[in-house]
Amino acid sequence: MTIPKPAPKEGEVHPSGDDRYLSIDRTMKRFNYEKDSLLEVLNAAQEVFGYLSGDLLIYISNQLNVPMSQVYGVATFYHMFTFEPQGEHNCIICKGTACHVKGADRLIQALSEEFNVDAGETTPDGLFSLTIARCLGSCGLAPVIVLDGQVYGKETPEAVHTRVIEAVSRSKEELAHTMEVG
Amino acid sequence: MNFDTLEDIGHKERSRQSKYQRRIFCCTSTACLSAGAGQVHTSLDQAVAACKCDKHEAEVVKTGCMGLCSEGPLVRVEEKESDPILYGNVSPDLTQNIVSRHVPMGGIEGETDNEEQDHSVTPHDIPYNRASLRQAQAKTELDKFIIPLNLPFFTKQVKVVLSETGRINPDKLEDYLAHGGYRALAHVLEEMTPEDVCNEILESGLRGRGGAGFPTGLKWNFVRQESADNKFVIVNGDEGDPGAYMDRTVMEDDPHRVLEGMIICAYAVGASYGYLYIRGEYPMAIDRIRKAIRAATRRKILGNSVLGTNFRFKADVRIGAGAFVCGEETALIHSVEGKRGMPRIRPPYPSTSGLWKAPTVINNVETMANVPSIINRGANWYASIGTEKSKGTKVFALAGHLRNTGLIEVPMGITLREIVYDIGGGIPDGRAFKAAQTGGPSGGCIPEEYLDTPVDYESLTKLGSIMGSGGLVIIDDSTNMPDFANFFMDFCVDESCGKCIPCRVGTVQIRKLLEKLIAGQADTEDLEKLDELCQLVKTTSLCGLGQSAPNPVFSTLKYFRNEYDTLVQPSQAVEAGGS
Amino acid sequence: MVELIIDGQKVLTHPGATVLEAALANNIDIPRLCHHPELSISGGCRLCIVNVDGYPNPTPSCGLTCEDGMSIETQNAELFQTRREILDLFISEHPLDCVTCDKSGDCLLQKYAYDFGISKTSHEFEISKPLYQDDNPFFIRDHQYCILCGRCVRVCDEVVGASAIDFAGRGFECHIATPFDGPMKDSTCVFCGNCVQVCPTAALMPVSRIGNGREWELERVKTICGYCGVGCQIEYALNNGEIIYAQSKPDAPVNGEFLCAKGRYGWDFATNPDRLSSPMLRRDLAFELGLTSESWELPDKSPLKIRNPKIEDSFIPVDWDTALDFVAESLANTVKEHGPDSVMGLSSARCTNEDNYIFQKFLRLGIGTNNLDHCARL
Repeated sequence: MTIPKPAPKEGEVHPSGDDRYLSIDRTMKRFNYEKDSLLEVLNAAQEVFGYLSGDLLIYISNQLNVPMSQVYGVATFYHMFTFEPQGEHNCIICKGTACHVKGADRLIQALSEEFNVDAGETTPDGLFSLTIARCLGSCGLAPVIVLDGQVYGKETPEAVHTRVIEAVSRSKEELAHTMEVG
Repeated sequence: MNFDTLEDIGHKERSRQSKYQRRIFCCTSTACLSAGAGQVHTSLDQAVAACKCDKHEAEVVKTGCMGLCSEGPLVRVEEKESDPILYGNVSPDLTQNIVSRHVPMGGIEGETDNEEQDHSVTPHDIPYNRASLRQAQAKTELDKFIIPLNLPFFTKQVKVVLSETGRINPDKLEDYLAHGGYRALAHVLEEMTPEDVCNEILESGLRGRGGAGFPTGLKWNFVRQESADNKFVIVNGDEGDPGAYMDRTVMEDDPHRVLEGMIICAYAVGASYGYLYIRGEYPMAIDRIRKAIRAATRRKILGNSVLGTNFRFKADVRIGAGAFVCGEETALIHSVEGKRGMPRIRPPYPSTSGLWKAPTVINNVETMANVPSIINRGANWYASIGTEKSKGTKVFALAGHLRNTGLIEVPMGITLREIVYDIGGGIPDGRAFKAAQTGGPSGGCIPEEYLDTPVDYESLTKLGSIMGSGGLVIIDDSTNMPDFANFFMDFCVDESCGKCIPCRVGTVQIRKLLEKLIAGQADTEDLEKLDELCQLVKTTSLCGLGQSAPNPVFSTLKYFRNEYDTLVQPSQAVEAGGS
Repeated sequence: MVELIIDGQKVLTHPGATVLEAALANNIDIPRLCHHPELSISGGCRLCIVNVDGYPNPTPSCGLTCEDGMSIETQNAELFQTRREILDLFISEHPLDCVTCDKSGDCLLQKYAYDFGISKTSHEFEISKPLYQDDNPFFIRDHQYCILCGRCVRVCDEVVGASAIDFAGRGFECHIATPFDGPMKDSTCVFCGNCVQVCPTAALMPVSRIGNGREWELERVKTICGYCGVGCQIEYALNNGEIIYAQSKPDAPVNGEFLCAKGRYGWDFATNPDRLSSPMLRRDLAFELGLTSESWELPDKSPLKIRNPKIEDSFIPVDWDTALDFVAESLANTVKEHGPDSVMGLSSARCTNEDNYIFQKFLRLGIGTNNLDHCARL
């Protein structure tokens, strides 16, 4: 039986200096630091941090007393876990059955060619990530995409191409402006 | 807290609801939300507030799926002494028209027609002013947004699992209670033994709705008869089939129904702890189920003394993280145990050795959601719906090349033709029906000649498909079948866990053959090899994912062989040898 | 006892035994890749499938518990064909480099390919895991030969307890990995090599084995490990008198197939040129005894500071009698001059119990002191 470590109190700073770890600690405490809670903890970590870094995985391995090889094995098994920060703009393209028969592949191709990334990849400048979802459950709107949290239905390759280009260009402009000013 | 108190709460809520002259229901299920239902709901609230009418004139109710998702966002107005009216494709602007038509405007002293924005309304993008509401009253274009409720889409359905979906506010336990919620649980705890419950479910003929169709009562009996210190109930909400969102809807829009079924199951088998395993891609379902668990715990529907009895049961949510294979029972168990979701060989079955080696019942969300109705209305009633071997109803997510798409619940035995043409409204854009795909990546395609097949477990299996979890995709003649089969095989390659060689490598090789075919580079030998390899993967894979992965290929080969043949190059040997 | 029929033969077995165990115990061989008698069941290789009366499909026998009255068929034409097709899938992603592969002759995949007469794949060849990791002095990890039987993961987890490796990724990209696919030394690996022992293919190979002789050319010598008191049995493989690698066999009484890092990899001392082959006497003492004509002075006046790498610079070989006489005389003189407690004895786990017994008897009765210790306490 592992002895539960006390949860951090309000206003307490995490020894790592990154207070997001407090949220992870809370999750682990909720499950009594049981090894079985690994998947729940990884889910919480993905949500809080946006991706699972090496340090984060090592931290979880130590706190839950689960061998590091197993933490790595579990993290790499589930496709919702990512190991690199997502791009500033994320476009999720639904590849459910209804969306497929309505041409989701053409949407993927349009973005893939423009940005030279495959599904699951981020552009080197960190501005754009292309993700595939297996079904967003909005089949009436097929083909569906989600760009930066906003759902767009009945998309065409041209429309999605324009939308993403506009979003990325805006970011590039802002970046250029900040660099000028800075 | 015993059921009398809960019944009281339900009664009070019914009274409260009956005070309203009209109630305006707005669907806030995920599908409608993606179409903008969030803003529609807010607009409705604001429009009604702007009316400044008497409090009991109108209530805006946040509710769940009303079924016709292709016409979302959907709003239904139920007025006393009137028939309900359903509006589709509702925009925030249109809410003004709806509210101004149905909700009387209360007067404000000193009000003129040129009034400025009403500042008592909460700030929002759309400024509501009473003047525009009055103007909207004059517009008659609202009628073209009305969806007749006597459409076959609605009249051919039989609601059991979706009885309360689209009628209650899923966040309010009182609403569920007002509609008779937890009455079945109370009856079970007061009047029935665990054996009685198992037999009732057995007699009803309820079969697993996740796809396997195993008799639920039989599974419950197996676990009930195991003697063990601990037993578990797991509700399988890992709905991974692309295009299936039945379980998601039930969890989002009627979470207490799922809980009630689960608690009854726990009582029947002797479990004191349960888990709802919900896939990570369903954040709203996770949220609503968690809320429901909290509400149920507060009211002592869950806990150490369920409804004041000796029966103890607690439930918790476990979240998946993107693995279709975790819908398989043993993989699901490993996932709940915090491990990689890799299945193990069976026997032993989960009913003997499941979660942490304890006897475990694993049932699909829809299966569980049937239980309260069966208890309330009796096994005989349930068995009177459906066919001889497939009792009850089935929820389908109807999608694809169809006029009306969305969530439907139909009695087993309804024909595919009725679903496609009556409920679905037929194929749009002047195209022709080609096939109905059931069972997702584990299922198959049913061509036109079998449209009069009754939808039930055996009939679909005989045709080379399966009932599956409820994804029903209609495809028209613009779809290429080998490509369609390849889509599903691609999915299986992605989702294979990698443990056994037939699935891990076999599916990749099948996909290679299909791609070779589609690229026009395959010969007749390749087509034979495709069939043999599919046979091997089907018979030797370790779990259901691999065993059913070749089904789309078999099914399209069987019914659309010509499409494969036209892609095939004659093999060199045949050419050289002459005709 | 449970009674069942396997291939027409009546078989008796204990309750809880699997069909595979019962068959093997009765000399009925069933092909298998992922099964190992010391490890938990996987069921992933699908080769051990058998026909069971009343079951619709062939079932893996490794996980099937025997029941009274079961009727099993372990081989027929159809099962042969199915197993052959499964092997076809294995070799569709496993390079058949048998001609130059050092595992040739000891490889299970090769054995079954031979048994089922399959020499090349009928599928399009594609290696799923083209990863080669040569990051430690003990063994190589060549993932292209890995058949994902999982034996290495199970032995590390269940027998050794180090849990240094596990499956990572999913599906076709699934592979065996250390955390972050990093070097072995950054994991909890203790380099016992038991994973290498149980690996059925060339995916895990001792570094010392590569290019050093074919399996059937090597000489085998069984001996007992000298490193500690457990006394594991080791079987060395020799090529032209040189040790190539060490392993153990399942029938070894103390340890079965399992060894530790010292036993499995710590044998290079055996042929190290620095290894002593006779007693050696320090040069200055030898000079005093008249055994050598060269005088020699102890550097830094301390016997503990002899750091000369070439041992013959400080010592000369002598015969056993000379050595023993010298030791006996020196010890006796020391005890006479400074008393028995001026002597201390330090023994070793590498000695046998009997040696240790005599040693402590000698010190206590012969020298007369209790100043006695053992390397295990360090």
